Amino acid sequence: MRALPILALTFGLALPASADVETALDRHILPAFAAFADRADALAQTAALDCRPEAVRPAYQAAFDAWMPVADLRLGPSETGALSVAFWPDPRGATQRTLARFIAEEDPVALNPQDYAEVSIAARGLFALEMLLYDAAFADYAPGSYTCDLVTTIAADLGHQAAALDRAWQTDFAQTLRSAGDAGNATYLSPDEALRALYTQILSSVEFTTDRRLGQPMGSFDRPRPTLAEARRSRRSLRNVVLAAEAAHDLAAALADWDLPETDAALGRVRLAAERIEDPAFQDVAAPQGRLRAEVLQQAVADLRQTIEVEIGAEYGIEPGFNALDGD
Amino acid sequence: MLRTSLTTAMVVALMANAAQAQTAADVLETYADIAEAKYADSLRTAEALKDAVTALTETPSAATMTAARQAWLEARVPYQQTEVFRFGNPIVDDWEGQVNAWPLDEGLIDYVDSTYGGPTDANQLAALNVIANPTFTLSGTEIDATEITPDLLREALHEADGIEANVATGYHSIEFLLWGQDLNGHGDGAGDRPWSDYAEGDACTNGNCDRRAAYLNVATDLLVSDLDWITAQWAEGGAARTALMADEKAGLSAILTGMGSLSYGETAGERMRLGLMLNDPEEEHSCFADNTHNDHYYNGIGIQSVYLGQYVRVDGTMVSGPSLSNLVAANDPGLDMEMRTRLSAAVLALGRIKTAAEAGFAYDEMLRRGNEGGEALIMGGVEGLIAQTRSIERVVAALDLGGIKIEGSDSLDNPSAVFQ
Repeated sequence: MRALPILALTFGLALPASADVETALDRHILPAFAAFADRADALAQTAALDCRPEAVRPAYQAAFDAWMPVADLRLGPSETGALSVAFWPDPRGATQRTLARFIAEEDPVALNPQDYAEVSIAARGLFALEMLLYDAAFADYAPGSYTCDLVTTIAADLGHQAAALDRAWQTDFAQTLRSAGDAGNATYLSPDEALRALYTQILSSVEFTTDRRLGQPMGSFDRPRPTLAEARRSRRSLRNVVLAAEAAHDLAAALADWDLPETDAALGRVRLAAERIEDPAFQDVAAPQGRLRAEVLQQAVADLRQTIEVEIGAEYGIEPGFNALDGD
Repeated sequence: MLRTSLTTAMVVALMANAAQAQTAADVLETYADIAEAKYADSLRTAEALKDAVTALTETPSAATMTAARQAWLEARVPYQQTEVFRFGNPIVDDWEGQVNAWPLDEGLIDYVDSTYGGPTDANQLAALNVIANPTFTLSGTEIDATEITPDLLREALHEADGIEANVATGYHSIEFLLWGQDLNGHGDGAGDRPWSDYAEGDACTNGNCDRRAAYLNVATDLLVSDLDWITAQWAEGGAARTALMADEKAGLSAILTGMGSLSYGETAGERMRLGLMLNDPEEEHSCFADNTHNDHYYNGIGIQSVYLGQYVRVDGTMVSGPSLSNLVAANDPGLDMEMRTRLSAAVLALGRIKTAAEAGFAYDEMLRRGNEGGEALIMGGVEGLIAQTRSIERVVAALDLGGIKIEGSDSLDNPSAVFQ
């Protein structure tokens, strides 16, 4: 398997590069969007029947799980669409502030899932729902209250978003990636560009996990910031790290049609380091032992990036393009 | 299958062709000359701002307040064109935070409206108000701020507690002291700080006018000295110029990294699309002065200027020389044409935002929920910047620069800073 791309390189011939992009789409990306759309729809229906936190939480967790395999993609429909599904990090507390304002003013926008697409992304998607379902300041609402309607609306809006993302990926954008290099494809002028675009997504996802999902709550040794952990209220912080690492690995494996022993081993070390974390919401990073375990996990994720660069990037001779984390 | 031998041959040919027209070293030299000129212009306009601030604080009046605001607006024009030197040049990156940090929790500096709120989960110092408080406790340490000094602002307050929203120095702190909070939300109007906030004796409004004036003077002095320093780094023999010229490939890569990171992650993503999607009137780069349309526009102009190797100085003269555009065109005229077309298209789209804003449709109004015209304008700019980023990536690939260095160290070194 492995000799094939090298041979192609030697002769200076392009393989049908879309073969790898096709696999990434068919094996990872498209099934994941379909599954997320299903879960988000189930969440919307659950919330419509019973808006109370204890009733909605299991469906919420399932939808978030389904989101993670594609959570870090920032191309095509996800370039703009991902942020309104999952707005995080939120350094200025916009989610809390915006939801509190809606509730205080009983903004009628909460009664209409269609109009809700217009509101601030801080009040939409998984993290807005998390605030209402898990934060003590919000989660004591009664059936029939404004907050209850708001939960139902946000869940319905999320269902619409998931369906729209699924549709846009399955139809238009998958075709854009598949037809890279064809005359008439103005997005990707060669198969290589589609491959590089997906490769960039993998590396930036891993970078996001080390720098933000882990780096943010870890803060500095003197000033750890456990309250900045992603999805700490729903206690998903660790789970998201592992699911994101698995997604990066799977997408990498799909993109390469050869074995990735180092990358497989690196994912194994991520899982092992994750098992040793005691608090799934990273609230123990302030204690020396907790911080040490988080550092080990962070290093394991960073190693995953390295192995992907070696086993895929170097193998293809590609370098990542710009990603959304460039800048500061 | 990506870097085929064809690409390698192309690069060899490109270097050969380029040698006839201009060398990579020539291109780097033009870039460094433009950097030096842009920073020198930023310095010159900041010195004019300093004179205006001195006049305001010595003889406070509506006229001196207006003149100081005008000087600030003028100073932003060359400075925003320098942002393209960030990301690729570590010397600029390490320095930039003290000059143009944003967004800020302005309650750290001075009085704010009651709707601002107090300390937040993320920032215990968000409402510190150093102008009103000559002594205070900061992370357990008693701070003596009876005299407002450069050290107090730079060492004690700026990024205090490791929080980047604690912005004590730079353009946006000065902007806040000249305009004050914009309390109009999505409605018409910018900040409207009365000139009497700097008046003496009984005429003083909102208290502590002497301390406010001292703060404004110190912050402006620091801006001038910071710009003086960075200008020297780009002069002949300066550290930034020397670092750039040390390795031709790395130097070209630095140019393109700055262009791409400013286009994509920073301006299109962080400053424009995110603000739009949050519908927050404070999610604009110059939220006190309502000058955001110019911030984005001059970012676009700056990106275009380094590719074309042309910069119009504030005195109207042009700095120009062999450019990246020439280098790309020497081997792949089609790609050069694509790059130039996309840069022009982005400047045009950003220019539409500026045009509408100057006709009275302010940037914070464009951000309002459900404002379709505003959304279309801002997304036009975002899409233009994203499209030009794709072409920048093609230029990187065509020049075979060994990929783009991903800018990630900032967040590793200082995780609380990731959403500056």
